Amino acid sequence: MMKSKSTFRGFCEVARKISETRSTVRKTTIFAEYLQSLEQDECIELAAQFMGEGAFSSVSGKRASVGHRTVAVCASEFCDIDYDLVFRACRTATGSASESIEKLMENLPAAQNRIKPEFLSLGEVYEFYAKLEQTRKRDEKNSLLQAFWEKMTPLEIKFFIRIMSQGSLRIGFEARSIVNSFAKAWNHDTEEVRYAHMITGSLGKTALLCKNNDLESARFRLFHPISFMLASPVESRNAGDLAEYVAEEKFDGMRCQVHAEGASVKLFSRDMNDITVSFPELATFFSSLNPKAVVLDGEICVFRDDTIQPFQELQKRMGVKKPGKKLLNQFSVVFIAYDILYIDGTPVFDETLTQRRERLQTFCETHGIMMSRQFPLENDADVEQLFDMALAHGNEGLMLKRKDSTYEYGQRRKSWLKVKKPGGSVDTVIMYAHAGSGKRGGLYSDFTLGISVADDERYEEMFIPIGKAYGGYTDDELKKLNKAIKPLVADRFGSTLSLKPGIVVEIEFDDIQINKRTKAGITLRLPRFRAIRWDLSPSDADTLKDVEKLLEEKMNQKREKITENPAVIRS
Amino acid sequence: MSSSLSYSLNGYHGIILPGPSVGLDVNGNVAKHIFISHAHADHLPRDRNMHVYASAATEKLMRIRGFKGDVTTLAFNKPIELDTCRVTLYPAGHILGSAMIGVECDEGHILYSGDYRNPPSPVSEGFDCPDTVDYFITEATFPLPIYKWKPHEELFRGIRDFALECLETDTTPVFLCYNLGKAQEVMHALAPLKKRVQIHGAGYKLSQVYSEMGYDLGVYESYNKDTVQEGRILVTPSSSVEQPMVRNIRRKKLAYVSGWAAHESRRSQLTVDKLIPLSDHIDFFNLLDLCRKLNPKTVYLTHTPNPAVVQHYLEKEGIHALPLNMEAHDEE
Repeated sequence: MMKSKSTFRGFCEVARKISETRSTVRKTTIFAEYLQSLEQDECIELAAQFMGEGAFSSVSGKRASVGHRTVAVCASEFCDIDYDLVFRACRTATGSASESIEKLMENLPAAQNRIKPEFLSLGEVYEFYAKLEQTRKRDEKNSLLQAFWEKMTPLEIKFFIRIMSQGSLRIGFEARSIVNSFAKAWNHDTEEVRYAHMITGSLGKTALLCKNNDLESARFRLFHPISFMLASPVESRNAGDLAEYVAEEKFDGMRCQVHAEGASVKLFSRDMNDITVSFPELATFFSSLNPKAVVLDGEICVFRDDTIQPFQELQKRMGVKKPGKKLLNQFSVVFIAYDILYIDGTPVFDETLTQRRERLQTFCETHGIMMSRQFPLENDADVEQLFDMALAHGNEGLMLKRKDSTYEYGQRRKSWLKVKKPGGSVDTVIMYAHAGSGKRGGLYSDFTLGISVADDERYEEMFIPIGKAYGGYTDDELKKLNKAIKPLVADRFGSTLSLKPGIVVEIEFDDIQINKRTKAGITLRLPRFRAIRWDLSPSDADTLKDVEKLLEEKMNQKREKITENPAVIRS
Repeated sequence: MSSSLSYSLNGYHGIILPGPSVGLDVNGNVAKHIFISHAHADHLPRDRNMHVYASAATEKLMRIRGFKGDVTTLAFNKPIELDTCRVTLYPAGHILGSAMIGVECDEGHILYSGDYRNPPSPVSEGFDCPDTVDYFITEATFPLPIYKWKPHEELFRGIRDFALECLETDTTPVFLCYNLGKAQEVMHALAPLKKRVQIHGAGYKLSQVYSEMGYDLGVYESYNKDTVQEGRILVTPSSSVEQPMVRNIRRKKLAYVSGWAAHESRRSQLTVDKLIPLSDHIDFFNLLDLCRKLNPKTVYLTHTPNPAVVQHYLEKEGIHALPLNMEAHDEE
């Protein structure tokens, strides 16, 4: 058996070493040195992919599709322990299923007796994932998993599981640093490597291009999505000189990348999924324009009576594949463009916003595409005035964009800043506490919040859930909260505590959504802690009727006709 | 004799055996005979002026921590005959002086574990216990099969390696650990290196008790932010990380030494470089082994985040087990 670094075990040892190293530079060096030590292209591609993307390249669309529960039940069988009683307690304690599994495999004789570790190659492990991907039935996946695990050490099993879920290895080493490792390993310019990664969408492919000195071949391809440029909340960044920025109103819609050439059109969502079939009216619209090859970035919004409708209406269209006629008529959408990434056969992300804007304007005017309007800025007063105006128009807030910035695909920096107003805040009562995972392992960090229905004839309960919040508090507040919930525990279900009403939390949220599947009929979007109201008692909590009133006000808010809405230019 | 023991709880703090009127790690003068298992704060009485029984080392440590009452010291494994019962202290291997307390009375032979560890800490009096008992009241701080401690020597080597790697690169190794028990164990592990160790003030006085009793803690001195010298080894509680004396050390690496270091999440929660899962509590597997050996009619589980799993495993082997839930009691 070869015991070289190109084994899966060698890879896992490197991942462990990276997790035990705090300095990002040092982490990058460790991985770069490891990559250099690999000889075969196949190993390099897989090592890069496993480190940052998962079992399969994220552009492949493939997934091993093994649910968390399947993994946990399978591991419980493997270790001969009770899933509900023992496994779940371990996961609650560590905050991580895969970490629990590693330890159980190490400690329990039942598992140790089954494990006969082999020195699997990276390729063999990839084959395992491919087999899982091709298997449909859960019990077959279960027996495959158990057969694979018998060939692995507990450390390998832990990382095998993390890679399988197409998620992070949780070793503090993410795509950006991985790309830096490629640059370091094979002496390339970091920006060039990052560009190649953006174009290929694949860490494995990018690593090979670096190794084989072939970064040139990474070219933008039409109908393949590239990562979106993201905005930071304005509160988190110091914008500096506002005159460097322009403002646009922020539409409360869905981000979309349009690729079009002649009659062919593809639409991609923020997470780079192909959503063309969900919005046939847009596909028809763009193909009717018969444009030259182009890529646009913009927003999908529901549009009726010449007015942009609230996000709640767009929700009816989201996730609906092949919507019917009725839905299309009632909630028809438009695309509002605000950036251009490709035109005339050339990627233009390296041009400044001002230059791209000129191209966008020409293109949109030629084809009659709606486009966001830009407003010049000079000072904070301008921002405030424009912000108030945006809200008056029924829009969500403002985007501030640096005029000299390139299109920073896949990054969230200060070239784009979003100015938003919280949707509102309500006083709620903590109903359930859920054990945290990852960094918050060992603490109760997620909280289901209840709204009062004590005097509501539609309900018999005192409180019903309105949302789940897992942020907005400080570390100290979280510790204090963990103490305060102890005497309130009424019941335990696995990693969840049911609490007697006692703690009042003022939560802030982005929006209110209709959600018929919940008891309240509505949920809050992005609820987070604003303050723990130790001074209030549960009887002070806001009522469901209060929240319904907020929603009603929002839905009935005055919205400008598009002809009078200065936020949009209708060419 | 029935299979259940009569006991009552002293709030969050301690257990009372009403039959022989014995208080175990209780908070105040609530029974005729009161025994203290060891000198950690959560086991010491808040009443600092009463009469208690404890081991010799525990007495010394308690005095440093401010106990002013009357202490009758008991030798390990030497029973004392009282009017209501016979009591024996067994070395518990948790920290210096730590004892398990065996009470023989009309109800039978009751063993209260206090906090304990087996295999014992090398800077303690070791570990011993009776062959069998009728009732075993045991802590279960680490009550899940994810907890299985590595041998000391392996962990001690890890401690030394970490210190050496740091010193070789002109970096101060900072060991974050509790200042009674764990700190001295870390110093004992470092002793063969013959390097100067600086220990946080509160821990220094406690360490002297260890030295006086003949345990090798190497070369150490008291630490404060004026005397700290980079390039030495620092042993300090994790609460001091945010304080200037640790913050001001420019080049340093942090190691967290605790049973809780078994959780990966502690790495980012505490932003430490190294996790060393050295615990002064018994692990899940040794706990089950000890219960098997003692073969009591009932095992009572206290000081535990989750009694259900140990209960489940003991019941599977026919050993009756119950949680002795201090928090639940407090609510009643």
